[in-house]
Amino acid sequence: MEQEKVVIEVNHICKQYKVLKKGEGIKGALKGLVTRESRLVPAVDDLSFQIKAGEIVGFIGPNGAGKSTTIKMMSGILTPTSGEILINGMDIQKKRKEVVRNIGVIFGQRSQLNWDLRLGESYELLRHIYQIDKAQYEETLDVMDQILGIKELLDKPVRQMSLGQRVKGDLVAAMLHSPDVLFLDEPTIGLDISSKYALRKFVKEINEKRKTTIILTTHDLADIEQLCDRLIIINHGHLMEDGNLSEIVNRIAPYKTLVVEYYDEYAPEHDKCELCFHEENVAKYRFGKKEITAARLIEELSAKAQIKDVSIEEAGIDDIIRVAYGQ
Amino acid sequence: MSRAGIRVYLQVYKTQIIRSMTYKFEVYGNILMQSIIMLASAYFWKALFKNSDTVKGVDVDTMLIYTVVSAMISVVLTCNVERRIMTSVDKGTIAIDMMRPVNVFGVFLAEDIAGITALVFQNMLPILVIGCLFIKLPTPAGPAHFALFLVSLFMAFWINWLIACMFGMIAFWTLNMDALIQVKKHLIRLLSGSIIPLWFFPAWLRNILEWLPFAYLYQLPLDLYIGKYPVSSAQCQRGLCVQLLWLVLLTMGFLFLQKRVTSKVMIQGG
Repeated sequence: MEQEKVVIEVNHICKQYKVLKKGEGIKGALKGLVTRESRLVPAVDDLSFQIKAGEIVGFIGPNGAGKSTTIKMMSGILTPTSGEILINGMDIQKKRKEVVRNIGVIFGQRSQLNWDLRLGESYELLRHIYQIDKAQYEETLDVMDQILGIKELLDKPVRQMSLGQRVKGDLVAAMLHSPDVLFLDEPTIGLDISSKYALRKFVKEINEKRKTTIILTTHDLADIEQLCDRLIIINHGHLMEDGNLSEIVNRIAPYKTLVVEYYDEYAPEHDKCELCFHEENVAKYRFGKKEITAARLIEELSAKAQIKDVSIEEAGIDDIIRVAYGQ
Repeated sequence: MSRAGIRVYLQVYKTQIIRSMTYKFEVYGNILMQSIIMLASAYFWKALFKNSDTVKGVDVDTMLIYTVVSAMISVVLTCNVERRIMTSVDKGTIAIDMMRPVNVFGVFLAEDIAGITALVFQNMLPILVIGCLFIKLPTPAGPAHFALFLVSLFMAFWINWLIACMFGMIAFWTLNMDALIQVKKHLIRLLSGSIIPLWFFPAWLRNILEWLPFAYLYQLPLDLYIGKYPVSSAQCQRGLCVQLLWLVLLTMGFLFLQKRVTSKVMIQGG
């Protein structure tokens, strides 16, 4: 299958930041004016992975885990301290200008649109910067209009746009030169539900229509659940997990939770599962998928106490994150 | 540079002219401020020359021309590059600027030239009209002087832009430099001859200033315009040579710093 082509290859990258040591108090501040001591802090430590054409990969990890640093290195903004990154087989350090033409980047908190201009004027400038011919530009804009309804915004000055409109504008700006790879760094930050929905729809559709490879970082788990085929979890600059969402769930959180409502406050224990929550008439049992089936558990519990209602919660991304971040 | 490459900067230029039209209020404010400074200096010179026909070899009419032309030169020596770099570094958009397949300093230059183009119409012409009406029609000393003035003004523009650009690059090391920009602005005002010609300064200070780049922003072009020295004089030739020397030195400094700044961004990230 053609989809198997590797687009991004990251080999053993490390990134250390130099942090200036500052002394305490006035004495320390005065000392800092004369001598500058610094120490190296590792942000990313020996990270390796490959991403194939057409994948949507979610990068997750707690704040300060090295997600943004990794994205910046992959998009050519930062130079790794060691290791190499190949995009379409080209080393991003050595062929930066060529590689950058094939990359689109969106930073949730920074806009690349020009504040004083109308949106269309910003696009016209980008069209020249990336040397996109007029016909192709119009075609891209038509596609974007179908997904996001961008054409009605073209004449609006960016300063007058709402955050949601600006994010739409930024998404289209990053896609104008039809990059093979799109990096999204916390794109949904601060957006309302409908803007989030528009963004997710955008990501899905450009992935389907243009086969764009997408890498996104987020703290919004719904983004991951709805979009990503694959999940990469980083913490302390290390790769913690890499794989399919359900596969990771099965591996590191292979359990379900049974929520039972009884008629009275007594909740019986069961030796094949863990009673993890009990308040008034409601009890929650966490059980391993291999240990016992849900039907069997309900049957055995109902023999001990009268059950009014049951529901089953699948282990989700929250559980993975709890386990993975906890390590 | 390829033709497609030039077209990018032309588009930047066009876009920036559109942007310059946004701030009308600032434009009027600028005209007002420039006119006040110009008129005040004109009356100052008139008062000073009341009792003598010439001072340091110039008469009052020449001095008035000096004042009007100085105000007009200040338009050509306007640039925004230091602030542009500072805000980009501060907001972190510099990373995005540098990620594009164009030279970011080329973009800044195109933006500044566009800004000046807009200001020629928005500022320079009104100043010229006000100067003609209330002070004096600023006629150059002669065609040869005027030609040399244009050459010198062209170099002055570059010297000014390069100084500002390198100054802006400081932002990559220390973030806040509002105060520094102010200090630089007033130093240039004082030491470049833009308000008070350097011939009025004591000899020892003048000797120092002749070797600094500031005098080549206002003083030299103005001297050429009013015909302070004959075209073939040693002062004239030496002035243009030192100006050229500064242009070369600053260009080299700029190229050196540009490389370091680019790698600095690559190491620290936006």
